[in-house]
Amino acid sequence: MSADPNPHPTEPDVRPHVYDGIREFNNRLPNWWLFTLYATIVFWVGYWAYYEWFRVEPEGARSVELAMTRIDAAKLAATAAVNIDDKSLWAMSRNPVFVDAGRQTFEANCVACHLKSLRGKSESPTAIGPDLTDQIWIHGGDPTDLYRTVTQGVPAKGMPTWGPVLGPKRITEAVAYVLSHHKEGEPIVIDTSVSAPAK
Amino acid sequence: MQNTSPFKPVRDQVTTIREDGSRRFLYPADAPGRFDRARRAAALALIAVYLLLPWVKVGGYPAVFLDVAHRRFHLLGLTLAAQDLWLLFFLISGLGFGLFFVTALLGRIWCGWACPQTVFLDHVFRRVERWIEGDAVKRQLLARAPWTPSKILRRAAKQAIYLLLAAAITHLFLAYFVSIPSVWAMMRDAPTKNWGAFVFIAAATGVIYFNFAWFREQLCIVICPYGRLQSALTDDHTLVIGYDWARGEPRGKPGSPGAGDCVACERCVSVCPTGIDIRQGLQLECIGCAACIDACDEVMARLGRKPGLVRYDSLAGLSGRPRRRIRPRMVVYGVLLVIGASVAGWSASGIRPAMLTATRMVGAPYYVDGGTVRNQFLVRLVNKRSEKVTLNLSVRGLPAAATVRGLEAPVEIAPMGEEVRPLIVQVPRAQSALAIVFEVVASDAAGSFRLSRAMEFLGPEAAPDSPNSHEPGPRSL
Repeated sequence: MSADPNPHPTEPDVRPHVYDGIREFNNRLPNWWLFTLYATIVFWVGYWAYYEWFRVEPEGARSVELAMTRIDAAKLAATAAVNIDDKSLWAMSRNPVFVDAGRQTFEANCVACHLKSLRGKSESPTAIGPDLTDQIWIHGGDPTDLYRTVTQGVPAKGMPTWGPVLGPKRITEAVAYVLSHHKEGEPIVIDTSVSAPAK
Repeated sequence: MQNTSPFKPVRDQVTTIREDGSRRFLYPADAPGRFDRARRAAALALIAVYLLLPWVKVGGYPAVFLDVAHRRFHLLGLTLAAQDLWLLFFLISGLGFGLFFVTALLGRIWCGWACPQTVFLDHVFRRVERWIEGDAVKRQLLARAPWTPSKILRRAAKQAIYLLLAAAITHLFLAYFVSIPSVWAMMRDAPTKNWGAFVFIAAATGVIYFNFAWFREQLCIVICPYGRLQSALTDDHTLVIGYDWARGEPRGKPGSPGAGDCVACERCVSVCPTGIDIRQGLQLECIGCAACIDACDEVMARLGRKPGLVRYDSLAGLSGRPRRRIRPRMVVYGVLLVIGASVAGWSASGIRPAMLTATRMVGAPYYVDGGTVRNQFLVRLVNKRSEKVTLNLSVRGLPAAATVRGLEAPVEIAPMGEEVRPLIVQVPRAQSALAIVFEVVASDAAGSFRLSRAMEFLGPEAAPDSPNSHEPGPRSL
């Protein structure tokens, strides 16, 4: 069909280099293959115009930076969204939605030491955790004290650091559940004898 | 017999690329015969498998459902989670060794019989072309003919069917990743509602259409690396398609004195889908489709000669030497393949629908309260399935006097959810030791599986009331 233009059919067009006795024909690349090269050049022009010339979107490092800022902002917002002052914690402790959610968290995580009744050592001397229903507190009895104690834990006594495990929302709910067994303004006794390092 | 290939393939150039770089389109002729029939049967079976896998359910899930959105991978009843993806190592290395083994033994059997490119091209798209445009001669004449209404109609019909087929293949491909009901739901929705899936379908349909309508053998010759690996993976004893040089040469008309069996009818060239001349030996363009065998056998039968002038044989066999099936590389590839497959099977059998891990809680390694030593752990449970699971937790291997708290209630875990439970263990000081190894066990409420994790209960060196104790004292109180 097509006339072969090679005037010396017995002498094929071979590139000058030889590697391990292997030589390479100087055949033409397929046109469609070259077209992919031209297409990448066209793409590069568009890409350059998009990111560098008109700066439609931030490129590379800058876009990563922006994304990281957004992630940080979202994390900060999550902690900021939790209102942890005494007044709001007391308010939550009277809200059945919060108390019920808190009860579930408490029953999954806290009953091993404080028992389902929350009465801990008062109910059973072999229990590990103190009574959370009486008015005697060891590490402070204000709602924010409770929140801090749960979040940071008391590692020396075995109260775990629940902050990274449960997160602020579930801790707030669990504190609201504990507070639902108390009344705002009830007399509080801080028992310093127990907070001294145990033997 | 009409010669439909007005070109002479040479080994120095790719037939389908002309000297100026333009494409030479091929019109491979039909080659009916035993390999053609067997290959069609194999292709239809493979297409049936491809069509059915997303529909057939095994263990409540489609037989193959790579649920990327939820990172759950269902394979023939086995469910893998993202945590199990290390198994991919065995899948990929197994495929690698399988490929080595099969290629060393049977050459490019994959290309000609099982590769989706060949299966869909030869047995679907070329069948449509054959049906609409006729045999190789008619197709070539139509290509050269001016654009008459009849040609426009035929070409439009062919391309339209190609597009439909490409779209069907793509939709089914998507079903492997999102399941059939989701594909169906997305098809009835507006494209803007599932923009990502729509763009994927449109782009993939375009690529598949382009590939089967235009690109065809270029994929095998220029893009696919497998043909280029051929020279590294095969040897003189590998089964390939070849021409019996000694029997065929010199070529000549039937009856001419001194002529071999090859009558230079060029049928083997005209049926070749990659445009090579098999009589020039094994070439990287050869996809092992066996069309030249069927074509040559038909001619030989008509001449009353033995079939097999072009045949499946090894390079050794074709040059009259004995063919050895067992070679060192077969043993090495085979052993590696068996090891890989055994480890993969053993690992896959250990995959459970949930995961149990336990860690020591932040704080001291142990606490001493009066007469008991206490350790605190956090047990983490992950449900890998998309239905909820209830696990009963227990411990084994602790002294009988030990008290265990926190695992009393069964744990219900939401689909693909995660739960943590504290585990508090107390052992009387008299019975505690530096370390007691025990096991945390979780068993599914339905009794279908069990998970366990070994942990260490730590304590002070010796009981305080033991006479020769050094009383090291609780470490971190």
